Amino acid sequence: MDPSYYIVLSAALFTIGAVGVLIRRNAIVVFMCIELMLNAANLALITFSRMNGSLDGQIMAFFVMVVAAAEVVIGLAIIMSIFRTRRSASVDDANLLKY
Amino acid sequence: MCGVDYLGSYRLLGLLLILGAAFFTVAFTANRLLSRRAPSAGKNATYECGIDPVGGDWAQAQVRYYVYAYLYVLFAVESVFLFPWAVTYALDGFGMVTVVEMAIFVAVLALGLLYAWRKRVLSWT
Amino acid sequence: MTFKLPAIDYLALAPMLVLFGAACAGVLVDALVPREWRYHVQVPLSLVALLASGGFVVALANRKEHVVTAGSAVVIDGPGLFLQGSIVVLGIVALFLVAERRLEPGGAFVAQAAVVAGSEADRKQMRKPGVTEVYPMMLFALAGMMLFCSANDLLTMFVALEVFSLPLYLLCALARRRRLLSQEAAVKYFLLGAFASAFFLYGVAMIYGYAGKVDFRGINEAVLGSSNSKTLLLIGLAMLAIGLLFKVAAVPFHVWTPDVYQGAPTPITAFMAACTKVAAFGGLLRVLYVAFERSSWDFRPTLGVIAAATMIVGAVLAVTQTDIKRLLAYSSVANAGYLLTGTLSMNRDGLKYTMFYLVAYGFTVLAAFAIVMLVRDSDGEATHLARWAGLGRRSPVFASLFTFLMLAFAGIPLTSGFTAKFGVFAAAVGGNMTWLVIIGVLSSMILAFPYLRVVVLMWLSVPGDDTPTVSVPGAFTAAALFVGVAMTLVLGVAPNQALELVNDAGAFLR
Repeated sequence: MDPSYYIVLSAALFTIGAVGVLIRRNAIVVFMCIELMLNAANLALITFSRMNGSLDGQIMAFFVMVVAAAEVVIGLAIIMSIFRTRRSASVDDANLLKY
Repeated sequence: MCGVDYLGSYRLLGLLLILGAAFFTVAFTANRLLSRRAPSAGKNATYECGIDPVGGDWAQAQVRYYVYAYLYVLFAVESVFLFPWAVTYALDGFGMVTVVEMAIFVAVLALGLLYAWRKRVLSWT
Repeated sequence: MTFKLPAIDYLALAPMLVLFGAACAGVLVDALVPREWRYHVQVPLSLVALLASGGFVVALANRKEHVVTAGSAVVIDGPGLFLQGSIVVLGIVALFLVAERRLEPGGAFVAQAAVVAGSEADRKQMRKPGVTEVYPMMLFALAGMMLFCSANDLLTMFVALEVFSLPLYLLCALARRRRLLSQEAAVKYFLLGAFASAFFLYGVAMIYGYAGKVDFRGINEAVLGSSNSKTLLLIGLAMLAIGLLFKVAAVPFHVWTPDVYQGAPTPITAFMAACTKVAAFGGLLRVLYVAFERSSWDFRPTLGVIAAATMIVGAVLAVTQTDIKRLLAYSSVANAGYLLTGTLSMNRDGLKYTMFYLVAYGFTVLAAFAIVMLVRDSDGEATHLARWAGLGRRSPVFASLFTFLMLAFAGIPLTSGFTAKFGVFAAAVGGNMTWLVIIGVLSSMILAFPYLRVVVLMWLSVPGDDTPTVSVPGAFTAAALFVGVAMTLVLGVAPNQALELVNDAGAFLR
């Protein structure tokens, strides 16, 4: 099978993630969309690794996974702390800072 | 014919499955047929130690364990580096240096665990 | 397939290793040392680590031997060392601000971040000493920034980007007062920062697809020789640029800046304004000058438009601000535009003066935020501009210092702001970006207005009942303020030494 299909898939996933970040209102869902974007990048890295015939892309995917996990923990901790105060995870409710 | 023999060893398991399903069906059908039925609203209510239930059933669960979940995510994912390392550390020219490097890596992770333990996030409150 | 163990030059990595080690030790201190002693251990530990790291940077700079090490993941060269050195020095000054506990009992940070803001427990912890985890987090962030400036491939760069971003997200959420604002700033910074880093990463993947490599030298060679579609290169470069321009706060990726600068604890705002700027531009310079120099025809017009938009939008929106921290945030956006102008000249002078500008701006902005920390009333810092009216008569010394810093921001001669701005504009003219310089000069004129408005407000208004007092700074803030103001003056009056230093730094190693 032509590996370039996977690039198309990864681009589609990345786009879904990016659109999700822009239109969803729940911080957790926004965050999940960001993770989707990271995983789309992972898919692209691995596919290119296959196409280029080098291992670098796969190693990079490992690093991305770990970085993404660290980001998940930090992000959830921050969202959790704001949720406990406001009882809401909507990004529209966080509106004290403006102008 | 080895094909029949091969499947033959599963004959017992198949029999057991059929028996189990039959037992379940027969028992529940018998119950249906033999018991008297008098449905009332009280019987459908949530049982709460005999007291009338209060409030809705959409309660928020206490997520006491969320810190564990965070720690688990980190430690589970960090182990991803162990696998490539396990393949290469025995190769020529790697040896002790790689072992020490991985020891440092694991020590840093352990440091995180030590911190979590000292901050008492590992105890059930 | 055969594998080879990459050789590691530990001395070349020492400045970063020291900081990472000290940060781990700091975590250990926080876990094991009794609460009342932590502050007294953490601050000297961080300071010693930063001094040692700075010492290694100087030693490496004297060695004059430029190396690519750790399997071509890290490169130690002149500009990289200069940027690392400036991050360390600015980091020390920022550490002074973070360590200040005189202005407010317990310091600027909350005692326990997990306590619900506004609850009974939160009121109880109001007078308790602040968290000491901020010091290891700062060290992690600083080490990540240094790695970001000397990364030699895009993967190391991505990891370093996260290493310095993640602690910053957390530090933003730790303000003692106005905790809701602080947490909101952290959420906004985090979500947008993660969004931008996802773009950066996808860009890395595209570049990898194009070049088959992610190290800068390999990309540079592939730009000429690769047989792959150039579309991949352009998409990759654009996405990479989005990630980097977010960190430098260029328009249209600047929207987080005012909110985060306002909501974060002021010492952290100062830290971000000074050190993150250096790191982000260090990374941007290296990517553009080393990896993509040969496609400068492709990105210069686009980035030029972004630089112009950054200067204009930053300057115009600074005019409308009523909060001093937001004003400084928009001024930081506009300054990112001037720095981009220097970067885009794509010549030796551009590199030189951009680095000089980073240092000059860093010192000035640290001193400015130090004064913002001092102007307080019973409710914490009084950041609304209306409250600053008449401050000149209340406390002439600090008002004079702030006036001097504002003049430096505006780029008046005999301040570092003038030297730096003149340098980047001259470099841009040399690099055939004259149109950008014209826009830059025009926007400087607009930008002078909000600065001068603050000055006029401080001196020509009569202090009212609610004009806040200027607290007497503790030793730490006084030191930071002194260093910041002194460097602003020295780099303006006698910039030769510093210019020689950036000149000696030479060009990036490829």
